[in-house]
Amino acid sequence: MHTPSIELSHVTLIREGRTIFDDLTLSLNESRIGIIGFNGSGKSSLIRLLNGLLTADSGTISINGKDPSKGPAAMSTEVGFVFQNPDHQLIFPTVLEELIFGLQNQGKDKSESEAEALALLKEHDRLDWKDLPVHSLSEGQKQLICIFSVLLLKPKVIVFDEPFSALDLPTRYQLQKVISTLSQQVIMISHELDGFDGFDRLVWLGDQGVVKDGPTEEVITDYKQHAVKTAES
Amino acid sequence: MSLYLAQISWLHRLPAGLKLFCLAIATVLLYPVKEVGIISLAVAVTLGIYASLGRSGLAQLKLLKPLFWMMLAIFALQYWTMGLAEAWILLGRMLVLILLANAISMTTRMDEMNAVFQFLLTPLRWLGVQTQRIAFALSLLIRFVPVLVSFMHALLAAWRARGGQRRYWQIIAPLVVQALRMSDQVAEAVAARGGIPKIKN
Repeated sequence: MHTPSIELSHVTLIREGRTIFDDLTLSLNESRIGIIGFNGSGKSSLIRLLNGLLTADSGTISINGKDPSKGPAAMSTEVGFVFQNPDHQLIFPTVLEELIFGLQNQGKDKSESEAEALALLKEHDRLDWKDLPVHSLSEGQKQLICIFSVLLLKPKVIVFDEPFSALDLPTRYQLQKVISTLSQQVIMISHELDGFDGFDRLVWLGDQGVVKDGPTEEVITDYKQHAVKTAES
Repeated sequence: MSLYLAQISWLHRLPAGLKLFCLAIATVLLYPVKEVGIISLAVAVTLGIYASLGRSGLAQLKLLKPLFWMMLAIFALQYWTMGLAEAWILLGRMLVLILLANAISMTTRMDEMNAVFQFLLTPLRWLGVQTQRIAFALSLLIRFVPVLVSFMHALLAAWRARGGQRRYWQIIAPLVVQALRMSDQVAEAVAARGGIPKIKN
C-alpha cells in the first residue's frame, strides 16, 4: 500500500497557556514510525493534530492533501486511532455493535455495516465474538476489537497511543505481531522501547520540539542515555 | 450490556418488544392483586424463569443482595403498619417486577432494545427530536455502568489498603473526577470514529 504523505509545516500549538510546539516542521512518510519522549513532551498532542482532535494555532498540516482541522469526523477515513485504554474506546455493549459504529457514521446502512464487520471477524477467525459482551473480553481481546473497529474504516494510517500499557507480555507480543502485519502506515507512541522492533524511524520529542529523529536503534540508544542522566540529576 | 448473559437461552430468542410488552402487562396485572396466593405464584414463576436459564441465570439472583436491607426495611414497616399479608404482597410484587426486568436485560441485546426504544420514541421524532441521540446516550450508559463500578472497587481497595475506615463516602469526589476525565477520553474516541451517529434507518 502506498504510504500516505503527512506534512506538518511551521505548526504552533498552545494548550492552556503552554507552548507545546513552536514552529514545528515535520514530514512523516515511512511505513513504521515511533514517537517517544518523556511525559508532557507533546507526543499525544502531535498525534491528535493528525486527525483534528486538536487544531494547530498556526501553521498547516496535510494528510494526503486533506486538512485535519476539518475535524475528526472528516478525517476518520484517513487516520484511524487506537487509544491507550480500550475501555475508553469501546462504547457499545456488544462486539458487533462496536464494530459497525464507525461504518454507520460513514453513511453505510445497518445491514451493509454488519456484513462488512462479520466478514472482517471471519477473516481473523473471530466470528464467535460477534455477540459477546465487550466487558467480558480480556484486555488483549478488547485492544484487538479496537483495532478491528478502526480497520473497518479503511484508513491509510493507523495511530496507536501507548497500546501496550495494559497488556501482559504474551498479549503484547501478540499485538506487536498484529501491528507488524498491518498494510497501513503505523504511527505509534510507546514507553516500551522494544515495541519498536522493525520500525523504520523514531521521532524523539522534548520540551523544545524534536530532540532527535532518525533510525530506530540510533535514537533509542541516545534516548536511554538521556533518561539515565535525567534520573541522576 | 453489563448483565447480558453471553450464553444464548430460549429467552434470548424471544423478540425484545414482546418481552417488554409482557413486563408491562405483568406490572399492570400485579398492581391490584390482593391475594397472597397469586403473589406467591408469581414469585415462584419468576424464580422458575431464572432456573430455566441454567446456573448462570440463577447466579444472577445475587443482584438482590445490595437491595436486601432496603427490602427488609420496607417489609418491616409494612408488617408493622399493615400486617404480614400486605407486607408479603408488597415485597413479592417488588421482587417479581425487579427480577423480570432484570431477566430482560440479561437476555436482550442492546441494539434490539434500542430498536424498541426508538419505536416508542417515534412521536418525538415527528416533533424533530433526534431520537438516535437519546438511544446512543442509553447505550453509553449501559456500557459504562460496569466500568464505573470497577473504578469504584479500585478506589475502595486503595482506600482500605491505606487503612481507610468506614467513611466510604469519601471516595465519591475522586470517583466523580475519574468519571469526568473518562468522559473526555470517551468523547475523543467517539469523535475519532466519526462522531455521534446520524439518523439512518
